[in-house]
Amino acid sequence: MKDGFRQSMAWLHTWSGLLLGWLLFAVFLTGTIAYFRQEVTVWMQPELHGSVPDAGTAERAVERMGQLAPDASQWTIALPGERTPAVSVSWRPADAKPNDRAALKRATLDAGTGAVLEPRETAGGNFLYRFHFELYGMPRETARWIVGIATMAMLVAIVSGIITHRRIFKDVFTFRPEKSALRSWMDGHVAAAVLALPFHLMITYSGLLLFMTMLMPWAVDLAYDGDRQAYFAESGFRRAASTPRPAPQTAALTPVAPLLAEADRRWADRGGVGSLTVTNPGRANATIELRPAESDSIGRGAATERLLFDGVTGQALEAPPADPQPAAMATGNYLMGLHLARFAGPGMRWLFFVSGVAGTVMVGSGLILWVVKRRSQRGRAENWAAGPEPFGHRLADRLNIGVVAGLPLAVAAYFWANRLLPVGLEERAGWEIGVFFLTWAAALLHAPLRPSRRGWAEQLWIGAALFTLLPVLNLATAAGHLGNSLPAGNWLLAGFDLTALAVGLLLGFAARKVGRNAFARKSAPAPVLPAGAVVEEPT
Amino acid sequence: MILSSLCIAYAGLLALALAMDRHHEQVFARRPSARTSRLLGWAGWLALALSLPPAVMAWGWAIGIPAWLGLLTVAAAALVLLLSHAPRAALRLGPVALVCAPFPTLLG
Repeated sequence: MKDGFRQSMAWLHTWSGLLLGWLLFAVFLTGTIAYFRQEVTVWMQPELHGSVPDAGTAERAVERMGQLAPDASQWTIALPGERTPAVSVSWRPADAKPNDRAALKRATLDAGTGAVLEPRETAGGNFLYRFHFELYGMPRETARWIVGIATMAMLVAIVSGIITHRRIFKDVFTFRPEKSALRSWMDGHVAAAVLALPFHLMITYSGLLLFMTMLMPWAVDLAYDGDRQAYFAESGFRRAASTPRPAPQTAALTPVAPLLAEADRRWADRGGVGSLTVTNPGRANATIELRPAESDSIGRGAATERLLFDGVTGQALEAPPADPQPAAMATGNYLMGLHLARFAGPGMRWLFFVSGVAGTVMVGSGLILWVVKRRSQRGRAENWAAGPEPFGHRLADRLNIGVVAGLPLAVAAYFWANRLLPVGLEERAGWEIGVFFLTWAAALLHAPLRPSRRGWAEQLWIGAALFTLLPVLNLATAAGHLGNSLPAGNWLLAGFDLTALAVGLLLGFAARKVGRNAFARKSAPAPVLPAGAVVEEPT
Repeated sequence: MILSSLCIAYAGLLALALAMDRHHEQVFARRPSARTSRLLGWAGWLALALSLPPAVMAWGWAIGIPAWLGLLTVAAAALVLLLSHAPRAALRLGPVALVCAPFPTLLG
């Protein structure tokens, strides 16, 4: 009875993992990079690399806004921080409606000079972030459903995996790369799964929570009588902005330096002031609102403390109360905030990144394991002579090549496209994304045309070369290369280059391992799958 | 704080690994006695428990616990790779980590 149960769990683990595994691999890989999406975007905009913040940055930005948008009804100024070197500003033109986000105008300012920067058009880290839950080129809702279903399959695979491999906690420290392929892939799969198991459970479960109102809309429909906007407004997901009408009398804006100094003292342990919002600038009823760089809560910004000042006299006003959250909402927000690493400083972000890498390795090794296990069973049964490898096995193997080796390759190509496409190209961001998908498609097509191990080795080698050379490309095309970023202690840019280098070396290491085996086992090469061939499975 | 937590966690995980026959053999080429195994196990769990407070002190409960789990992941990953490729180094790193653990906290 018990064995029967565990066997059926093993079956469930195998198939829930395999069928959506390729999609899950892509979700995990791009989602892991998304922890650094701002940093990736900065790397992809070399025009910002020369921007160096100093003590006068905020004042300079406010002054510049007075020239850029003197008649706006509101300015929002996001100051540079650990994750971005330039000032991003946006303003609402006087004639725009209060809630019309599309009417907002945006610009980027140099933190050192206040000059308006013209960064190249790029899809940046945001594309990888969006891709990990909305895919690309299909209706948003459809894509979210697909990823939502894959996430459910992931949860099923995790739970059934824990039940199947009862010994995982005993085997947790075991890794035997010198043993058989089956043994070492199994060890690697189990290690990647168990070492970061709390993360995997958290990220999968909270991923479902983020889709909550889409996957199970009925609760909201019942409680709010079908009015979902009312639910979002009340739950603090979307806050209705209300700005007082501008007063007819004009008045000069108070100097911001003293306000900033006070706020910086107050928020010394929270990164100082992160952003300023000036409402009705230049009017008698102007107000200046300050927010800290780091939120004190990981829920969605609702509880963040703010400071409010009179924009003419500089007097402190009673700050708008931090919106209280019901406990249930706060709990949900906590889990969603964890998923997004909303609260995270650089150290935490790296921990999440490493755990995300473990998740990617877990899914990838699981996919490879499926093929390796079937090959080893055929080998043991001396079935090699019984005919070619079944079509299903070969299909899975070639898909593994095109996804597990091909997707990192496509990501590297995406970064190369960012630097090599002409800066003034029309629809430039779209071209970057085009290069990403074309490269990925090429990898998927290349896989069935090559013997299995050759396919693996070739794609891994190309990926390794592209990643390893990214710092060199950066040196050739931007000022923020390692020669400048390391001496300046600019870890934002140096971190990207060093990580690319590390990923390249790891891919090269993997390629070397696969390549060596490809020669060692030349006597029994894996059969080639001709494009479009359909081979009947032996019964 | 963070590094302290990481060091203690590594030492704890190492003790837990050495309490198991397979990993004890990897390092010492013999099995542990039942008594040694039990002692190592207790020491390991104790160290793991002690690695939590620094993380909570640094980040508070809400963020400290996920952060601590992340630190355990990093420490365990290092241990697994060292055990399979350089078991003696895995062993030597244990006491070093324990001795170094207080310094990041004391130095601020």
